[in-house]
Amino acid sequence: MAGAEAGVVPEAGRTARPAVPRHRRRVGGVGAVGLTLLGALILCGVLAPWLAPYSPDETTGAPFAPPSRAHVLGTNDVGQDLLSELIFGVRISLTIGFLAAVLAVSIGTLAGVVAGYFGGWVDAALMRLVDIVLVVPFLPLMILLAAYLGPSFWNIIIVIGVLVWARPARVIRAQVLSLRRLDFVDAALALGASSRRLLVRHILPGVLSLALAQFILAASNAILIEASLSFLGLGDPTAKSWGSTLYYAQVRSAFLSGAWKWWVLPPGLLITAAVLGFAFTGFALEEVLNPRLRR
Amino acid sequence: MARFFAGKGVQYALVLLFAVTLNFLLPRMMPGSPLVFLAGEDVGFMSEAQRGQLIQAFGLDQPLWRQYVIYLAGLARGDLGHSFQQGRPVIEIIAGRVGWTVLLVGISLLAATLAGIAWGTAAAWRRGRRLDIGSLGGAMLLESMPSFWLAMIFIAVFAAGLRWFPVFGAMTPGAGLRGWPHIMDVAWHLTLPLATLTLITIPGMFLIMRYSMLSVLGEQYIATARSKGLAERGVMFRHAMRNALLPVATVFMLNVGYVVSGATVVETVFSYPGIGRLLFEAVLARDYPVLQGTFFILTVSVITANIVADLLYPLIDPRVRHAR
Repeated sequence: MAGAEAGVVPEAGRTARPAVPRHRRRVGGVGAVGLTLLGALILCGVLAPWLAPYSPDETTGAPFAPPSRAHVLGTNDVGQDLLSELIFGVRISLTIGFLAAVLAVSIGTLAGVVAGYFGGWVDAALMRLVDIVLVVPFLPLMILLAAYLGPSFWNIIIVIGVLVWARPARVIRAQVLSLRRLDFVDAALALGASSRRLLVRHILPGVLSLALAQFILAASNAILIEASLSFLGLGDPTAKSWGSTLYYAQVRSAFLSGAWKWWVLPPGLLITAAVLGFAFTGFALEEVLNPRLRR
Repeated sequence: MARFFAGKGVQYALVLLFAVTLNFLLPRMMPGSPLVFLAGEDVGFMSEAQRGQLIQAFGLDQPLWRQYVIYLAGLARGDLGHSFQQGRPVIEIIAGRVGWTVLLVGISLLAATLAGIAWGTAAAWRRGRRLDIGSLGGAMLLESMPSFWLAMIFIAVFAAGLRWFPVFGAMTPGAGLRGWPHIMDVAWHLTLPLATLTLITIPGMFLIMRYSMLSVLGEQYIATARSKGLAERGVMFRHAMRNALLPVATVFMLNVGYVVSGATVVETVFSYPGIGRLLFEAVLARDYPVLQGTFFILTVSVITANIVADLLYPLIDPRVRHAR
């Protein structure tokens, strides 16, 4: 109520809101766009059986058919409806992105908390590991691992998860370090709290919100990586994600004919929308939650 | 200075050790015989004697640490194994391809860095205004697009549609051009892959430069320079930008790995004969020695680029230069 002048009582129902800085409002706007994109995609995935005109695994038309009333986005090389393929693809792309991000942020949070809290050689060793993971060219490494493990749903998730944890680990460690300097940690220690209690009751809650922001950024990363791996033919062969739709478009040279407009353009736009949805949401969250970015 | 390099040196050595050890362990830790990954798929059809010979050649009957020593010794001689598909030494295959990747990655790294610096400086200078917000949105949009998709769209529009550029390859096959026409031919083939790779690299550089510039603009000496009545342009370039460049140089190194990863995908779509495309061909053929050799060489080149950046760093930061 800082804006209300002395003696003037704000009318009921028109209580003066504290002025929100313009920058913060914009951040909120970006977050809202991100959440809307994500909400629409998730809804699409949940309602896929009702939204899609056909089953994505059934041959329902002539191969390589251009868009028509029966097949709004045409058909692929074996006569499956492309629109249905994309709608069901939401489920696969989002699920893989979600699970890989859960894995990555779980490892990252654990490593970050352990490194930040215990310090010393544990910290040094873990941060060296983080540096190594950040320097190695990640896509070639993932291709190598995926080629050895073989293409499957879980292998993709594991490969992405074990290589995306480094950035979250670094951010969370920084947060733990700044939490450790606070007085309540000393107070808790003085009261005889065990390391375990301190970690679970005081440190972990302090990093959870940051871990959430990191999770969302990791998910946007994971979706992009999954698309790349699937595009290179290393995706789950039994489930068609957007990346594998593009893989088949590439193998069948769809981009050399007019077919690119309905076969190449839409899946790429969907990937962009999903990645952007996560990135916007994560950006807004991090801007609000990360004390180092607060102004 | 010496300590700076010692710390960095240890770091790079560790990265190298990681790549080498992974390459060593992967074929040996997978279920089934390591020979499947080391000598090709026709292991099942070999006679017992042939198999025994191979096992001895790879030292697979030795304890693991002996195998590791043998492996390292081979690596030191440049032995990356033999390709299943072509039967040639992997190092030879890579040597024939690496030039194209150096050309593609080198130019696009340079172009993207310069463009990112200019764009980031301009956006930070107009913080919060339309140009800045629009640039931020544009950079995030660009960063969210799959690079291989962008490459496909470029081919569809500029190569297959408008026929301005060739669809694939690094030069016209069988044309036998020499001299200037050859250079033009190579440049003509390079344009689209280069444009794609540069475009996907710019956002990272832009975001770093903008952030770095913003934190410098908050410093006291910028206010001092302004209050002295210096021209805005002078303050921007001589006082702010020079200092804002320092963190960019550090992050530049992390970006090399990113660009190399991007090159893998871009080369694949354009059938550009560099080592990124080689990696994809090796995946298709399940040619494990080539796959591992390519990964190893890519890691080595990222480390090399890092060292070069470390050596150039003192040129732009006088504090490092004078701290010798």
